[in-house]
Amino acid sequence: MITRMPTESPALGDDLALLGLLQLVSPALPIGAFAWSQGLESAFELGWVSDEASLGEWLAGVLDDGLAHCDLPALAGLYTAWEHGDAEAIAEWDVWLAANRETAELAAEDSRLGASLARLLGSLERLPDSGMLPPDAGYVTLFAWTARMRGVTQRQALLGFAWAWLENQLAVACKALPLGHTAAQRLVERLRPALVVAVDLALELDDDELGPALPGLAMASALHETQYSRLFRS
Amino acid sequence: MTAISQALPTAHDSGHRFDTERRWAASLALGFERRDGVTRMVQARHQGPLRVQRPFFPEGREGACHVYLLHPPGGLVSGDALNISARLATGSHALLTTPAANKLYKADSQGVAWQQHTRLSVDDGASLEWLPQETIAFDGSRGAQHTEIALHGAARCLGWEVLALGRPASQLPYVSGRIDQRFRLTRDGKPLWLERQPLDPLHPRFHGRWGQGGASVQATLWAAGLGDADATAAIDVLREALPDNNRWAVTLRHGVLLLRYLGCERNEAWALCQQAWELLRPRLLGCQAHTPRIWLT
Repeated sequence: MITRMPTESPALGDDLALLGLLQLVSPALPIGAFAWSQGLESAFELGWVSDEASLGEWLAGVLDDGLAHCDLPALAGLYTAWEHGDAEAIAEWDVWLAANRETAELAAEDSRLGASLARLLGSLERLPDSGMLPPDAGYVTLFAWTARMRGVTQRQALLGFAWAWLENQLAVACKALPLGHTAAQRLVERLRPALVVAVDLALELDDDELGPALPGLAMASALHETQYSRLFRS
Repeated sequence: MTAISQALPTAHDSGHRFDTERRWAASLALGFERRDGVTRMVQARHQGPLRVQRPFFPEGREGACHVYLLHPPGGLVSGDALNISARLATGSHALLTTPAANKLYKADSQGVAWQQHTRLSVDDGASLEWLPQETIAFDGSRGAQHTEIALHGAARCLGWEVLALGRPASQLPYVSGRIDQRFRLTRDGKPLWLERQPLDPLHPRFHGRWGQGGASVQATLWAAGLGDADATAAIDVLREALPDNNRWAVTLRHGVLLLRYLGCERNEAWALCQQAWELLRPRLLGCQAHTPRIWLT
């Protein structure tokens, strides 16, 4: 009896691709994503987010005005750029995303997670060819590379990214608010369809509609720099 | 060639119309150069109702060249298209401000937007201060305010935009319309700071805490050209000196210091910006703040 092992470099969207996506978005991925709250911890401190209802509003708002207009379209652009081996477009998206980060901590989150993911990929011998990766590449740039390399489709890469964001934000809330685990699951139930809407929107927007519109989050994130007691790095 | 080209309207063919094509263009292009240690305004080309007063040197001949930008209509209505540009050559130093608040009037019955586009280009070793008085958006105003700052080499720039929505004194809040405020700052062509602020009172973000949080006044102050260590020290000074409240915050990202205000008081926003400017100016430009007299009148 011959057992055929599926090989890496899977066909787009096959079983291995799905598993590759689950691996990439897992909280167990050792890049330290759990340490960053994207301004949410500060929003708790300021009293702007205080319970399940206000957290739901905050997350729905950030998903629409942040992810759908910024991270997700950049991820889509980066995915396409990796697909075509277009180093110039990869560098342009990487710089664009960095320039859109509103505060020191949001910028640091991007670059630290990017560096961690690059280190991990290096030790798995899964880094792209040298010369393709911009210097100090951000997290989204490396996420796009990994998803593409694993055979994840563009759309599912975006869904996975949005899912990882939601799960991480809820983990922050469970630790720091604190939010009950059942309440967190209620929010997942409510926001899961919104993730799909955000991905649809991200894939449709024109270039001149891109960029986050999160002045409150930016304020919270900058105030977090001087927050007296904090669990998270952003 | 028999086809008639359908070019976009320019300042030459703008004029009063009362349909959706309404457009009234005005432009101002300023150029500064440093000659014999003195910054001179070597260009002031204008079209339509945008002017400058004669530059003056309240800080001494070798100090910053102060220029007031004048827009005699005092505000923007539907179809207005203002293009302001300033180019500072190597080593020059200019401070640009305005004599009064800029008003954004309610859109006409066609809902035609206005636009104001500012392009600031600063060469290596030059310093620009862009310190316009605040903009007041009347209810129903629709338009786009874009500010582009292109820095080259070791150029320095300190600037702000203060925007008040509605007229609280007259109990006329901003409850309809849409303003699209954008910033783009590059150094040697590389984007360092991109920002987009769509202000739409009917959108959830207008009152949502992740967004405007109901704030009717916002200010954004930027300073580019400080080294990271100096910028970090400057941030410590700002946090120490400026009023301790949650309506403003300062941060440093990619070499650009950003101070943001979200609140409801024009005077509070203005005082904050002015105080921050007084503290930042010596650090960034090596000279003490010299308050433009026009702000006091």
